[in-house]
Amino acid sequence: MSQPEPDRPQGPAGTAPFDRPELGEARALIESCGLRFEPGFDDLVRLYDQGRLVACGARAGYVLKMLAIAPSHQGSDTLGELVTGLIQSGRQAGHDTLFVFTLPQNAASFEALNFRLLAAHGDAALLEFGPGLPAYLAAHAGLITPGRNGAVVINGNPFTLGHLHLVEVAAQRVDRLFLFVVREDRSVFPFEARFRLAREATAHLGNVTVLDTSRYAVSAGTFPSYFLKRLDALAEAQMQIDLRLFALRIAPPFHVAARFAGQEPLCPTTAAYNRMMAEVLPEHGIRMVEVPRCEAGGLPISATRVRAAFAAGDYGALGDLVPPATLAYLGSPAAAKIRTHLKET
Amino acid sequence: MRIRCKASAGTMQSSDLMVVVEPAETLRVDIDSTVKKQYEHLIRAQIAATLEQLQVSAGHIQISDRGALDYAIAARVETAIRRAAKE
Repeated sequence: MSQPEPDRPQGPAGTAPFDRPELGEARALIESCGLRFEPGFDDLVRLYDQGRLVACGARAGYVLKMLAIAPSHQGSDTLGELVTGLIQSGRQAGHDTLFVFTLPQNAASFEALNFRLLAAHGDAALLEFGPGLPAYLAAHAGLITPGRNGAVVINGNPFTLGHLHLVEVAAQRVDRLFLFVVREDRSVFPFEARFRLAREATAHLGNVTVLDTSRYAVSAGTFPSYFLKRLDALAEAQMQIDLRLFALRIAPPFHVAARFAGQEPLCPTTAAYNRMMAEVLPEHGIRMVEVPRCEAGGLPISATRVRAAFAAGDYGALGDLVPPATLAYLGSPAAAKIRTHLKET
Repeated sequence: MRIRCKASAGTMQSSDLMVVVEPAETLRVDIDSTVKKQYEHLIRAQIAATLEQLQVSAGHIQISDRGALDYAIAARVETAIRRAAKE
């Protein structure tokens, strides 16, 4: 069999020229394996045997998808060869840890390639390859204190007085509160700014530790639909995986006994996520506490509202919605560029 | 030999292993293996012998093994290190 042939379309993900014959071939193979062909990947690794495409798999950032092997080559070590190509591709792009979503019945095939099962539910299993979760936990081991700890997971896009209220209420009720800021950079404000604002706004709370979620909560690896604001069966499966990953792999090492979330009156995706949290977490002995939203001017404070006021240049309104650190940031030159972009979209 | 940059060698095919080495101040060897329970001590000993032979005293060595035999382990580790030493 010939070596994996990485295909590197020029330009951003999703703009690969799909009319090329070899991509049509890959698409046919992927669909013949019962998978949906989804455009939007950075690389497509293909294996040929005597000129015939026998296996292919795509990589979108650190997520592997659409791994397909022709029936004639299943059962041999084709998966090992395919995964080798994908790992090399990921490493060249700077991703040492790779995620794969697959059917639970395929999880063992990946475990035989040293993938680690992160969570499984229903028709979906999430596994990772590389330093991954053990390295993440080892890097944060020094921040962990014993006791009855709590967790809040926020995107903080950007950090509002609503987030602050949630954190203050939660911090009073636990020994230590871990405030996880979503690492994924798919939001208006970059991670570095979201993280710093969360840290500055909560600096007065001695028992709050701010850390990043890495890929282990609300990420392209665990819950991509969150960013699409899509609510369907796929989104539900992803929420299940995301929450089980939290309950089984994140909460125990951090001694998290309760997860706090703001009540969600507006966004249906987040509201559904909260409902599922209330259902899934107690199964694993973790309490889910919903904290009522705080309001300004008779309306709930939300990051969406903050972004709208920011886009409109309504700095007077922003003062009632965000803490001083966020207000200062929103008036900075770094934020001005983001505002221009926000107004265009 | 000194590990100057990140480098890798090997594959994830059966009976092979993938080795990634990167510069670090101390020596650390992390092993993932399908036969870790039974053979981790032997894999570790083989890696230690290869590192000693190449006079490598610092670096982060990550191994993902699929049941490779000793000579394969030695060859893959040596290749990764020579690449990382830019020889």
